Amino acid sequence: MADIDTGGGGGGHKKGPGVKKSKKLSTRVDLTPMVDLGFLLITFFIFTTTMSSPTAMKLNMPDDTVKSEDQNKAKESGALTIMLSKNDHIYYYEGKLADDGSNFKSAIFGKSSGDAKGIRDIIIEKKQKLGASADNDLVVVIKPNEESNFKNTVDIIDEMTINGVKKYALVKISEVENMLIKTTEGTAK
Amino acid sequence: MPKVKIPRKSTWVDMTAFCDVAFLLLSFFMLATQFKPDEAAKVETPKSVSSDTIPTKDAFLVTFDKGGRVFVTYDDVEKKKALFDKLNADRGIGLTDNEIRTLNKAMESGIGVPFTMLKSLGSKSKEELQRVQQPGIPVQDSVNNELKDWIATLLAINSGVKPKNVMLKGDNDANYPTFINVLDAFTKNGIYNFKLITMPENAPSGTYLYDARSSGKKDKK
Repeated sequence: MADIDTGGGGGGHKKGPGVKKSKKLSTRVDLTPMVDLGFLLITFFIFTTTMSSPTAMKLNMPDDTVKSEDQNKAKESGALTIMLSKNDHIYYYEGKLADDGSNFKSAIFGKSSGDAKGIRDIIIEKKQKLGASADNDLVVVIKPNEESNFKNTVDIIDEMTINGVKKYALVKISEVENMLIKTTEGTAK
Repeated sequence: MPKVKIPRKSTWVDMTAFCDVAFLLLSFFMLATQFKPDEAAKVETPKSVSSDTIPTKDAFLVTFDKGGRVFVTYDDVEKKKALFDKLNADRGIGLTDNEIRTLNKAMESGIGVPFTMLKSLGSKSKEELQRVQQPGIPVQDSVNNELKDWIATLLAINSGVKPKNVMLKGDNDANYPTFINVLDAFTKNGIYNFKLITMPENAPSGTYLYDARSSGKKDKK
């Protein structure tokens, strides 16, 4: 198996006719099938194995029984509200939402590409604007609406870790904000 | 002119070395392999840059899939038994010892049925359990949130001591209301710290975290 038949057949008839050949049995074992089997099993284990084991991401929720007077107040200059909607859409506004909704803007996940602004760049810009006080003053409020999914929520919380945002919270979206998202998505089509 | 004689060399190749390598690799993969544990629901978790390992001790795991079905998994044998005993007594489900044992076993891969269906789940055989499609624990709203009762019972048998590790495992496409309903079930019971199970991902280059990690600093909590 592991060699090519080179012919030469039978090893000659040195002893002439009638003399019984004492055949020397080779002790060489053909290992090819064993190698085949070995690699077959390797392939099996490679396919079934899960090399990267999952990791744990910490999430702390606020105690919502705490009275509102005791809650931390966020500075308006340092507030950034991010809203999530269906199809990976992100909307955001800085500070307070203007009555006419003029500071309500849309963004995409990750870095900016082309005209679309990435949420990462928005956070970085905001941090730069605040300068040294960013660690203390920057508060990101995350408000997913009912159409967003779990992946987006995890991604945006991850974005906080990636950009070193110290204060962020997962908050229920307000009626006004959800209406704004709905109208924006309605007109965007 | 004499003919140049080409010596006929044997083409026999010694496969022993090859074989050795094959089996060395094989033994490596066999030892490195961790088979996926049985799971009641197929869940594809999102990715995150977090690098913490998953704790296995005293771990209460809630899984939710993209259809919004919710499952609970708990691995402490003693507490599991007490948990079912208490549920049985409190809600008058009428579970027999045998059914409790089956449920105990089923909880290793996840239980996702309303309380009213616990008895029928417990009476199933091992083979049936693997095939059965569980509808999920109801978490729709605060009125009909049975997960809240599960956690309340768990806290009650543990004399109010919270499980050290509360883990949530969600599918990429699970919708946000499911996630927030699960969170609500915990926060209503005074549990505020969670660990989300995710797949590892590298920090994108040029970001704060990337710089912090490449300069050798530990992640700040």
